[in-house]
Parts: sequence; C-alpha cells; structure tokens
Amino acid sequence: MTDAQRLDLLNPADVARLGGIEIVAQGVVEGFLAGIHRSPFRGFSVEFTEHRAYQPGDEPRYLDWKILARSDRLFVKQFEEETNLRAMILVDASRSMAWRGAPARLTKRAYADRLVAALALILLRQRDATGLITFDEAVREVIPARVRRGQWTRLVRGLLDTPDGLGTAAQAALLHLTSLLARRGLVVFVSDLLFDRGLALTALRYLRHRGHQVIVVHLMDPAEAELSGPPEVRFRDPESAASVVVRPRELARAYAGTVQREISAWRTACRRHGIAYHHVLTEMPFGTALRLLA
Amino acid sequence: MTFLHPLALLGLAAAAIPALLHLLERRVPPEAEFPPIRYLTEAERQNARRLKLRHLLLLLLRTALIGLIVLAAARPLVPARGGVGGGGGGGAHEPTALAVIFDNSPSSGVLVDGRPTLDRLRAAARGSIARAGAADRVWLMLGDGVLRGGSREALLATVDSAVPTSQRLDLTAAVERATRLVDAEPLPSREVHVVSDLQRTAFGQGRADAARGVRVLALAPPPRAPSNRGIGTVRVADGAVAITVTGTPGASPAPVTVRLRGRDAGRALAAPGASVSIPLPTVTPGWWVGEAVLDPDELRADDRRALVWRVAPPARVRAEPGAGSFVNAALAVLAEGKRVADGTDVSIGERLQASPGKSVVLPPTDPALVGQANRALAARAVRWRFAAPGTPGPLSSASFPGIGGIPVARRYRLEPRLGDGGQTGRTGADSTVLATVNGEPWLLQDGDVILLGSRLDTAWTALPAAPAFVPFVDAVVNRLPRGEGGAPVTEVEGAPRVAFQTRGADTVGATVYGLDPRESDLTAAADDLVRRAIGAEPLDDARFAAQRFAGARRADASGLLLVLGLLVAAVELGVATLTP
Repeated sequence: MTDAQRLDLLNPADVARLGGIEIVAQGVVEGFLAGIHRSPFRGFSVEFTEHRAYQPGDEPRYLDWKILARSDRLFVKQFEEETNLRAMILVDASRSMAWRGAPARLTKRAYADRLVAALALILLRQRDATGLITFDEAVREVIPARVRRGQWTRLVRGLLDTPDGLGTAAQAALLHLTSLLARRGLVVFVSDLLFDRGLALTALRYLRHRGHQVIVVHLMDPAEAELSGPPEVRFRDPESAASVVVRPRELARAYAGTVQREISAWRTACRRHGIAYHHVLTEMPFGTALRLLA
Repeated sequence: MTFLHPLALLGLAAAAIPALLHLLERRVPPEAEFPPIRYLTEAERQNARRLKLRHLLLLLLRTALIGLIVLAAARPLVPARGGVGGGGGGGAHEPTALAVIFDNSPSSGVLVDGRPTLDRLRAAARGSIARAGAADRVWLMLGDGVLRGGSREALLATVDSAVPTSQRLDLTAAVERATRLVDAEPLPSREVHVVSDLQRTAFGQGRADAARGVRVLALAPPPRAPSNRGIGTVRVADGAVAITVTGTPGASPAPVTVRLRGRDAGRALAAPGASVSIPLPTVTPGWWVGEAVLDPDELRADDRRALVWRVAPPARVRAEPGAGSFVNAALAVLAEGKRVADGTDVSIGERLQASPGKSVVLPPTDPALVGQANRALAARAVRWRFAAPGTPGPLSSASFPGIGGIPVARRYRLEPRLGDGGQTGRTGADSTVLATVNGEPWLLQDGDVILLGSRLDTAWTALPAAPAFVPFVDAVVNRLPRGEGGAPVTEVEGAPRVAFQTRGADTVGATVYGLDPRESDLTAAADDLVRRAIGAEPLDDARFAAQRFAGARRADASGLLLVLGLLVAAVELGVATLTP
C-alpha cells in the first residue's frame, strides 16, 4: 500500500466521502497499521515480569519449558496480571461538536466519530477491551468495555445512535462518567472542550486519581483557531443565547492569541496532572491524529 | 487667511459624515453560529480599550481627511515669505483691484535695440493682466486715458491689438484716476501697474494723489533712450513756414525739409529746441497743404507734420504820399511777387482814408499834424489816438516773431481816446494790440484801421532795414486788414491729418492734427521724478514681475493640504488594515 492510497493520511473530509464510519475506520486502520512496525499500544497483552526457581506446589503449567530444555533447570514464569487493557472512549456529543467552519470540512462530531471508530478498531484488534460513552448534558450512550466479537460493531452503532446534542457538556455528565469507570484502564476523552476548564479538569483529575491513564483529545475546527468572516458579523453560541457583534478583521489577532493561550492552559494543566493532551484540528488526517495518541 | 473659493468651505459639513455614520449606523450585521464564543468574548474583553482607541483614531483621521480635502478645494491663501524676486511672482494672491496703465502713446513706437518699446510694454501689461485671478477686478487704461473694464481675456485681447496711439498720456493724471478707481473697489488689495516708457515729459505738474493702501508699480524705462528729433510745431506766416524742432535735448541738428505736393520746397538744419523759417514759394491763391519732414530716426511718428495755409488773392493797396520810400519799395517787391496789386482796398500813409475801407495809418512827419490825424481817427470812430512821443525801445510782438527785438528810436505812444474805456494793453471788441515797445502799444488794429506808433523809416525804427520788413509790410497791408492770418488754421492733437471746415461752398478754416511735441523728447524721467509724481519706484522687468500682487501675495496652501490629506489617508489605511 503506497502512501497515496493510505486513507489515514488523506484529508478527513475526502476520506469520509468514501463510505460509512465502518468502512472509513477500517480503511484508516489498515493504512495506519501498514505504516508502523509494531503496535503503538504497548502492554496491551499479558505482561511477563520475571523468572523464579520452581518450588514445590507451583503450577506446572507456569514452568518455562524452553529454559528447562536448554539448562535442565526448573523456572516458573511470573505475570503482573493476566488481563487485557480496558479502554474507555468518552465522546462529547454536545451541540457545539456538530459545527464546522466550512462545508468542505467534517463537523467536529463527525471527525470524532471516525477517529474513535478507528481507535476502537485498533484496540480491539489487540484484544483490548474497549467501551464507549457519549454525553452532552447527560450521558447518552454507554457501551461497556468488552473484547468479544461484534464489540466494534456495537461501538460504531453506539456512535451512530447518539444524535448531536442539543445542549452543552456539563459537569454533571462528567461526574457521572467517572462513576461509570470503576476499573482502572485507559480513558480517551474526545471533546472540543468548550466548557469550564476548571470543572472539566476536576473530573479528569478524579479519573487520574482513580488510576486511569487519561488522554484528552481537544478537537477544534480550523475556523475556530483563526477568526475570519465578513467585515462585521454577529456570532451566536449554538449552545446558548449568547451572541456578540464583532469585526473579525480587527479582532483576529487578539482572538488567535486567546485561542493559543487557551490551548496552552489546557496543555499545562493536563501535564501537571499527568494527563496526555492532544490538540487536533478537524483537517488533520486521521492517521496523524492516531499517531498522536500512540 | 483667505480663500480663493470660499464657497467650497460649505463642504466642511461633510466632515461630520464619519461621526454621523458612526452615531446613526443602524446596519444589522449578518448572523452566524460560532461555538467558541467564549474565546471571542475573552479576546474582545482584553482588547476593548485598544479597539475603542482605534475606532476613535479612525474617526478622527477620516474627519480630518475630509476636512483637509475640503480646505484644499477652497484654495486657502496664506501669507507667503520671500516672494520678491522669486521667479516672476508665482503663486496666488488675495483678491485685488488692479488697474493697468498701458502707455501706448506715440513714444512707445520707438525702436530700442531694434525692438519696439511697445512690445516690451505689451509683455509687461500682459503679464499683469494674465496673473489676475477670477477673484480680481481688472481695468486697463491705454494712451487715450480711458479706463476700460472687462474680462481678463477681453483685456488681453485689447493689449494684444494695441498699437502706438497718437495721443499723449499724462501719467500723473492717469495714475491719480486709476488709484481713485481701484481705491473705491471693496477688495482686500489694490494695485496700479504703470507700464510706460516713463518719458520725462509724460509727467504733468504736481503729483498724483494716490490713495493710501494702493500700491503703484512702475516699469522702469529702458536703460538707454535713443536720441530723437521730431517736428514740434509748424506755422505758416508771412510767406514762410516757421518750424520748431523738438526732441532729445542736445541731439545733433538734422535737416528739415518742407514738401509741397511731393516736391521739396525748402530745407534747413535744426536741432531740438530750435526754430527755422523756410520761405514758401509763391503759389496761387487758395488752400495749400504741405508737410515738414525730418529724416527717419528711431521714432518715426514725429518725423513729419502737416502744414496748411491759405493764400489770399493779392490785396489792392494804395500808398499815400506820406507813406515813405521804404514802404513804397516794399510794396513794389510785394507787387512783383503778386502779393499786392494797385488798388484802393487798403491804403497806407499818414492820412486816414476818408471813404470806408481798410487803412494803415502812420504817424505824421510833422508833429503839428498829430492833432489833425487824431481828429481824422476820431471821425472814423477809431478808439485810439497818437499821444506824446514815447521812449525808444525794442519791438516785441507775438503776431510777428520776425520783428522782435528790432529797435525803435522814435515813436508816438498810442493811447485810447478818453471816454471810450480803452486802456493800453487791453483790447476792445475789435481792437487788438499786435506789437509793443517797452510794453506800450506800437502796432494795433481797431476795426478797419491799423495804427502804427512809428513811421516805417530808418529814422524812426530799424525795421525797414531788417529782413523781416517786407513780410511785415505784407502782413500789415495784406494779411491783417483782410483777416488772412486770423484763426482759420488750428492745431489739434491727434492722428496726423488735415481737416477743412466749410461753410456753404467756401472753405473757412482747417484743422491740422498732429502729435503732442512733448512726445518727441524720449528722455526718461529720473527716479526722483517718478517717485514724486506717482509715488512709485521704477522697477526693471524682473522686479516688476516679482512685485506684481506682492502686497497681496499669498501662497496657495492647497498643495500642502493635499499632501497632508494623503498622509492622513495613508495613516488611516494603515490603521484600518492593521489588525490589532
């Protein structure tokens, strides 16, 4: 497969036009896996820790027969835990996610769905239990983490069954999420983060405190990063009645500065709490976004 | 500061447009969804002060831009610095009432270095008029002394078409009239430009009463005035023409030629200021026209002048026995020249003709007969009589220039008869004193009688021995009694020509038109005279051009305002396009 045929490196909007989420996600994953030599998600299998001398009473099945054959000595293998990684993907389905800055681009939600589907497919191929939670003002869809056959289809169906929210992501929903994640694992939080940073960090910190490995994917449309538009326009928040009249040209530089400061603030806050933070623009190829998560 | 187009200042109201648009703007901006509105709000909050300042700056810049453009359109005039000598006086000026005196008198036709002085004057006059703006009022005075107004183009056309006129212009009077005119004009500035060759003789008596606040500029005369001679006056009397030559004092003599019907009739040499008498040939009775001509020089207009005289038929004269031998001899000469004939129209002698007729009465030789002579005079109602003998002295006569200074040894005083109110030196209705000795009448005419105080004998006076005797006798017996030399020929200033006056079928007089003799003297007036007469400093061409409208000179600030406007526009563009 050449780079020109790898869907993971193409424009997300162009890739999305190839078919449904399943087809796009599979194509992206194929391309993504073909481009790397090993799984980016190390430790997703049973972890070997050390050898020790056999002692009477040990399970004979843990004997390392290869060492026995080479050295005629009895050693048993010890493992940290004999279970796969539990990954839970949290997708923000609030109304702000259903926005795009240009018709040629995917909405943030559409981009998130395809990216999440691809990520889930990779995880499930590594036999990692993968689940999904969608939320806006409330938790909309919960698919527990499983590794069984058909799990990916269920995840995709869960994404498709979750409509674009009418409200905004709220603290209540975030707190509810934390209660749903009882066992330690990987939490991938996909959102445009257009809510109170303090409250969101509180929830994410709690997850981290519970031992989860947390990855925040900050989705942003390029039009949100750089202000443009007619000489004067009234911008209205789709999630609230708030509106403001601005002249994009005269506010563009200040706005860009504000966005950069916000991103920096998120990155700094996440780093401080051991949370991985990734800023992803919706024009970024899916493969590049997946590599960020690797 | 004044404005060339003050009405344009109404456009300053447009300077309020940016503020009005800002205040009255009711435009509804388009609406769009934009999720990260919190970022917008934050950016706006942080930049609110800067944005307000920027809007205020843009408002001020746009208002200033409109104001600058409107001010530039109004053509503001600000006082200029260092305008004198600066390249012909460029730039604008305050509205000015201007009178240009373009002296195209005959002397302007003189050639200086091969170029007519009129061309130089025309260029200067054109420059003055051409520099006048729409807000100025301009008058033009030519050599005819008429102040004419009109549009700039019309006056320029008048200047272009002007040729040397035949009229002398009195600059003193002309400047006074021009200053009065411009002074009455309610404009901020008033100027009179005198474009003339500034002849010394062009200035009249006294000084022009220039109004205060009226600037009078005078173009300096050419540095070197050519030497010139002209025919000043020409008078025909006693069979000769007396010609006075005028012109530059000290100029060398030049030949003067009298021409009759295209032929030279006589020639003499004369310098300016001198008079010559050239005998005229004997011609048949009637009106004769000739001309006195000088050789051509730089000023051609005054090189010839017409002369007109009337030759009357010869008078029939009878000499009484007591007339004397000198009179008889003179009459014989005149008879030979067909000036007189034998007859009874005029008698000359010591006895008065009894019958009505013209008589020339000489005093009797015998003093005892004086009383008889006086009675005869009284019988003819003559209001003069012979009185006691008078003191000797020289003759003086305006009517007979040729006899001036001739001594008179014996004479009778001529006195008016008592009771008739006549006084010596004064004339009655038809009584004229024609010559005097020591201020007392010596020759007079009263009606048909001509009375002489001395006999025409060398024992009484040297006149019979003088060359002027025959012409004198001719005048006494021929011209005076018949009024031939009266006033039928008059001289008037004007284009050289002769005009005859007629009464019925008879020609009763003639008018000879010619130039004013003062035009022939091309000597330039001294600066002091110019200053004193018209209150102006003569300026050479460059300084004259530079001083035009100098009192009202203002720099047109519109260019500077437009540059400022461009700068403001550039700053506005920068501020408007610069993203904060």
